[in-house]
Amino acid sequence: MTDTAAERTDAVPTGTASTGGGSGEFLRKWGVLVALILLLVVSATMSDRFLSLPNLLNVLRQIAIVGVLAIGMTFVIITAGIDLSAGSVLAVAAVVTADMVNSNGPLAAVLVAVLVGAGLGLVNGLGVTLGGVQPFIMTLGMLAFARGLAFLYTGGQPIPTTDETFLAIGNGRLFGIPNPALIFLALLVAAYFVLRHTTFGRAVYAVGSNDEAARLSGISVRRVRTTVYVISGATAGIAGLLYASQLGVGTPIAGEAFELDAIAATVVGGTSLFGGQGTVFGTFLGAAILGVLSNILNLTGVNPFVQRLFRGALIVAAVMLQRKDARGR
Amino acid sequence: MDRPRHARSLILGVAVALFMTACGGTGAEQGGETAAPEATGATGTESAAAADSEAGGEGEADVEELLAEGTLSGYDALPFTDILPMEEGPIEVEGETPDLVIGFSQTCFNHPWRVAMLESVQAEVERHPNVDVVTLDGNCDIVKQTNDVDDLLARGVDAIVMSPVESDGLVPAANRAVAAGVPLVVLDRDVFTDKSLFIGQSNVTMAYGVAQEMVEALDGEGMIVEITGLVGSSPAIDRSKGLAMALEEAPGIEMLTTGDGEWIREPAVALMDDWLVRYPEIDAVFSHAEESSWGAQLAISRAGRCEDGILHFTHDGSAAGFTSVSEGQFQADGNYSPFIGDIGVRAALMLLQGQEIPDAEPYDQPGQYLQLPDLPPVTPENAEEWMPRGWGDFDPPADPCA
Repeated sequence: MTDTAAERTDAVPTGTASTGGGSGEFLRKWGVLVALILLLVVSATMSDRFLSLPNLLNVLRQIAIVGVLAIGMTFVIITAGIDLSAGSVLAVAAVVTADMVNSNGPLAAVLVAVLVGAGLGLVNGLGVTLGGVQPFIMTLGMLAFARGLAFLYTGGQPIPTTDETFLAIGNGRLFGIPNPALIFLALLVAAYFVLRHTTFGRAVYAVGSNDEAARLSGISVRRVRTTVYVISGATAGIAGLLYASQLGVGTPIAGEAFELDAIAATVVGGTSLFGGQGTVFGTFLGAAILGVLSNILNLTGVNPFVQRLFRGALIVAAVMLQRKDARGR
Repeated sequence: MDRPRHARSLILGVAVALFMTACGGTGAEQGGETAAPEATGATGTESAAAADSEAGGEGEADVEELLAEGTLSGYDALPFTDILPMEEGPIEVEGETPDLVIGFSQTCFNHPWRVAMLESVQAEVERHPNVDVVTLDGNCDIVKQTNDVDDLLARGVDAIVMSPVESDGLVPAANRAVAAGVPLVVLDRDVFTDKSLFIGQSNVTMAYGVAQEMVEALDGEGMIVEITGLVGSSPAIDRSKGLAMALEEAPGIEMLTTGDGEWIREPAVALMDDWLVRYPEIDAVFSHAEESSWGAQLAISRAGRCEDGILHFTHDGSAAGFTSVSEGQFQADGNYSPFIGDIGVRAALMLLQGQEIPDAEPYDQPGQYLQLPDLPPVTPENAEEWMPRGWGDFDPPADPCA
């Protein structure tokens, strides 16, 4: 975990990171973790079943789909971009993969989910880099377009699948841990490695901090930008796969507004919408905070109207906590 | 599965290509033609020009393609043919048989329930050689549907049948139809303004019927959880109301908690996950939607609680839901049928003929109301009979507890 602290300083070449010190600096770095721990403690006192292993594993599985989306989102947001199409791309992947598993078997379905997602991500990336369309608008267009594709592909009907191998991806367990959670964690580790230990990862931060400086230092800004959208598309594809295999159905309405949850998880996790800052470990914490909140509200039987208030307030509070400290006082 | 897969992949490819090259869908490839309007349609930010083109040939081709996947096995399978019954054959108006065009403005095409309603419209129209229908996709968007109604008026349709996106938002468009003297029949969801006729089923009494099945199955004693439809939506409010009515009469039944299943599968899984952790004993689930029910069943099986024998009462009335009832996954399914479009067409034709609508009555909103009788909840006893009359062409998920 000290690595994340190190990453913030040495992976941000242009020094946009706060130079504050003392307790402010501590909270800025660890605020999300502190918030999660607080939430865990409060939750444990509110429900004696909260800390049971089955419940914690439930939470981990519940956050897996949005968490996987948020991994790709983190790459995009670090470059100061945004991917509003993630939920719609998830739906395209979900319906195509469900259809594919019925016709060509699970392996093809898995590959197609990732490829379809990455392909739509590539369109986003090229629109942003070659087309010169702002990321917000490009991916807003894709949000509508991909949703349309999903409807068109299915004629509005859900596509169910009963292939047992495929359903096992979403519903099975390995060493007692639900597969979606394992896939989420594995992708986190992979993303951590890429961002922390590869030239590409450093370039992602560089582009997000100051793309002009990045260009002058020899980074192909266009390629980096395009690639992060491909990554986000691919994670949306994987999320679509998890969706279809967990629920046994690819439906064109899958994942509506999931992109907003993914953005929330990413930002709560400390990634700055202005780019140049952020870690996937933070994103994991952000997703966990939102997942635990929703879980404890269900465990304590909070009225669904009120649940939305809590969720909204928590997102803002978690970001304020970090922001206050980022000023360094 | 008999979907033309290659055509579909082609559509996908063509649509992506269209998007990337930003050119119109005028190619000879059939996939391209259908791809363009639907894809733009989904943006919900359509220009009037696009709406016009949808009202033209392309839009109608879309409907035919949608209907080709329908399940309706014939006119006789429709559940409400005895409401405003009408003979097959040409429609006479004042001793002549003029060509009549009915405009049908649907909320959106994006749900099989909505597509099934189109099927029932089509089934009635096909019985009358001098009657034609123009069907438009409102895209679940008030603005789009308002434009649709205006377009239908501009085309000079003889009558409009609509199922509005929202009761309040479509008032101005409905007023323009009424001002133009075009008979306006509103289906399923009301428009709070003067119209010729509103035809609807009651979600309250239907849910009450399902809840009574539940009370009976539990012998009046037990603990239940409720998974609602999207909170704040009117069918969800009404189905909760129906449940509350039944629970008032059954003091032995304790409602443990309620949560928002949003009509779909995914949120219900998490809700049920959490409730199963929280409650060591749950006797029954009362759910507003089959999709949510299938999600909840998945959570029950994953939590290893299949042996608990948790009963399941749900709503929607799809063919897949009825199959799940017959297989024992659900003990009852509220039969909220989308096959009411035919009644709307018959009512519109009767109005054009200058006939009174029997059983239509004034109610607390402007215009007249024809309340449809509740179809019986589908239970294991009558599931076989209803399976061919449910909506949708998809299979239910296998019972995870089987």
